[in-house]
Amino acid sequence: MGSGYAMKNLTIQNVSKTYFDPYAGANVTAVHDISLKVNQGEFISIVGPSGCGKTTLLNMIAGFLPISGGSINIDDKPIKGPGADRGVVFQTFALFPWKTVGENVGFGPRMRGLPKKECDQIALEFLSLVGLEHVAQKYPNELSGGMQQRVGVVRALANNPDVLLMDEPFASVDAQTRMTLQEELTKIWQERRPTILFITHDVAESVFLADRVVVLSKGRVLEDMPIQLQRPRVWENLIEDDAFKALSSQVLSKVRSA
Amino acid sequence: MMILLKAWSVYLRIAAKFPIIQTILPFIPLVIAWALVTEYEVFPRAFLPGPVDVINAFGTLTYKGVLTQYLEDSVVRLAVGASVGVAIGIPLGLLIGLSDRVREAVWPILLFFQAIGDIAWLPILLVWFGFSLTTMTLIIVYTVLFPIVLNTSLGVRSVSTDLHRAALSLGASKLRVVWEVVLPGALPNIMTGLRNGLGYGWRALIATEIIVGTSGIGFMMFDARRAGSVVEILLGMVVLGTLWYVVDSWVLAPIERATGKRWGLVTQ
Amino acid sequence: MTQRLYSAFKFALPLILLLIFWEFCVQFFQVNARVFPSIEAVFNAGVEAVKDGSIFAHIVASLGRVAVGTLLAVVVSIPLGVAMGLNPIVSDFLSPLFRFFSVLAGIAWIPIATLWFGYGFGAITFVIFNAVFFVVTYNTLLGVASIPMPLRNAAASLGANGWTLLTQVILPGALPNIVTGIRTGLGFAWRGLIAAEMIATNVGLGYMLFLARDFYKTEVIVLGMIIIGLIWLAIDRLILAPVERATIERWGMVRRA
Repeated sequence: MGSGYAMKNLTIQNVSKTYFDPYAGANVTAVHDISLKVNQGEFISIVGPSGCGKTTLLNMIAGFLPISGGSINIDDKPIKGPGADRGVVFQTFALFPWKTVGENVGFGPRMRGLPKKECDQIALEFLSLVGLEHVAQKYPNELSGGMQQRVGVVRALANNPDVLLMDEPFASVDAQTRMTLQEELTKIWQERRPTILFITHDVAESVFLADRVVVLSKGRVLEDMPIQLQRPRVWENLIEDDAFKALSSQVLSKVRSA
Repeated sequence: MMILLKAWSVYLRIAAKFPIIQTILPFIPLVIAWALVTEYEVFPRAFLPGPVDVINAFGTLTYKGVLTQYLEDSVVRLAVGASVGVAIGIPLGLLIGLSDRVREAVWPILLFFQAIGDIAWLPILLVWFGFSLTTMTLIIVYTVLFPIVLNTSLGVRSVSTDLHRAALSLGASKLRVVWEVVLPGALPNIMTGLRNGLGYGWRALIATEIIVGTSGIGFMMFDARRAGSVVEILLGMVVLGTLWYVVDSWVLAPIERATGKRWGLVTQ
Repeated sequence: MTQRLYSAFKFALPLILLLIFWEFCVQFFQVNARVFPSIEAVFNAGVEAVKDGSIFAHIVASLGRVAVGTLLAVVVSIPLGVAMGLNPIVSDFLSPLFRFFSVLAGIAWIPIATLWFGYGFGAITFVIFNAVFFVVTYNTLLGVASIPMPLRNAAASLGANGWTLLTQVILPGALPNIVTGIRTGLGFAWRGLIAAEMIATNVGLGYMLFLARDFYKTEVIVLGMIIIGLIWLAIDRLILAPVERATIERWGMVRRA
């Protein structure tokens, strides 16, 4: 299972987002000025307190929200609305309830026009990454939350996106399952090296997963911190690790000071 | 006391195996009461014939082929009207559900015309198209349209934003999102709209046949009334009610439940 | 306050545009007055009807029948529905019966009603009573039956019994379903009324429409249709919807089943 990803960088340049809030009766600036460069194959975590603009930023990168100012480019080409080049994993899983797990994962390939047989094969291939090939015929509401989100992750991956955007994907899942999912995610990332942008409010999670942690505050970048912890990362080891604890508390104090 | 409870538990077990019994059983005392009332001539026989008379009439009319013909006429009209209503209603409901602009422009008009009601259109349709099949079909289309449009638009709006976005981020074009996500997502509501629409359509059909029909069950009832023959009126009502009850409970309701349940969208 | 005025205006705007469109079409296509009247014709017909008082006679007759029939039906069906719903065995047993008769609501009873009560007030009120009775009873029954047992037990353990249980727990608990039932039943009743008035009487909005048809007086027909629509809108928006909002939504309750 090679990487299969072309060399693509994501450049966010002085991006801002302002919209009119009818309840406040005034303009609200969710994102003031954010610049960020994400290189091919990097795993970036974006942390920050509520209202710091991290979800708005992700929605702009994904193309769900228009940009008010600045630019977002993939390899110098500006993004235009949502597309298969930027895959998204949702906090609510967003699996299509009337399609089987296999049909969900094969959705992206089907949109690209591949024949059904190939889509099914691709689906099985990616489902086996998370050990779920045996539930390909089941419907999403027959699965547990953890299993559903695994499907959500591989559904996005099966489309070979340039960037994988993850919006607090493990927030709806219980703590134990969350830790398992985090470890699985890093494992998949190590094998396939997609570019991942991971939004979370959980500081420990952000440090555990990423190469770089970007702290946002009030619509701006507060800190861009490299994480030089060894991989593979396993919770039992890292919980006692001094470097991990130091980095976590650094990030935490930054987030809290925001 | 124990005997009663034992009998009751036997009944429950049989009913669980054969749900049809639970449906039919309550009608038995009703029919018996009816038969008794007519037997003791509580009301004059001409006003309230008994169940036996109705069954006889059923036999005669079926034998003569009259009942089956009328039934066929009524059902065909409903089918035609409903099909047209669905063909117009679902796309319209889709449009209203998808576009806020369209919704704001069209909604008040829809509500007002729904308030006028189906039967109120009969006189003017008679002026335009006379006592014809067109008139009847149009009334049914009109009646069926509103539940379908309203429920479809409700269903469309109930499809979560995340599902839209998920499809878009997987490479679906806006049109494909409608086909792959919005329509299936709205299906449980569409089924509800269809079920309600057919119910209203059935009633509107009978009303139209009573007022201006030349054939069909409603006409049969009205004609019998003119002839003073209560038996056929009662027969018509029994046939009407039974037919709809059967179709609604054993075909439409299960489909509605099944889609909602499978989609995991029904919280009950 | 201005917010409500604004949304009322937004609601009325498409209708006003529709009126303008109507007048334009009639004038531009030189539509025959017998096929479709102009706004002016309808307005004049309205003025005429007000002057000779006929419109009031029709409206009062129609509303009167609806009011009497509905009131009677509600007064009978709510207690009946509550009584039936309290006992799960009884409610299960009787449900199919009421579902069956809900289907026949209203219109199907017209032929037999005219036979039993003759033409006029009696038959039509019977039809309306019918339309409301079965639907409201069935919904009340459902509402009462679906009040969770723990809720009733909680009330009993807090000392509620008999009358207090009824008024403090059962009725409020079943209220969403009751209100839905009344709203649906009233809809059937209004439609049944118009249909019944077309064939079974000589005064009322339905009769007014049907009579006008005989003389090809489309302006009277359209006038009648508009009035029917406005009355129902008024009943629904100004009475039923606010009642629903005030009770169900304020209590954050969900309609069950």
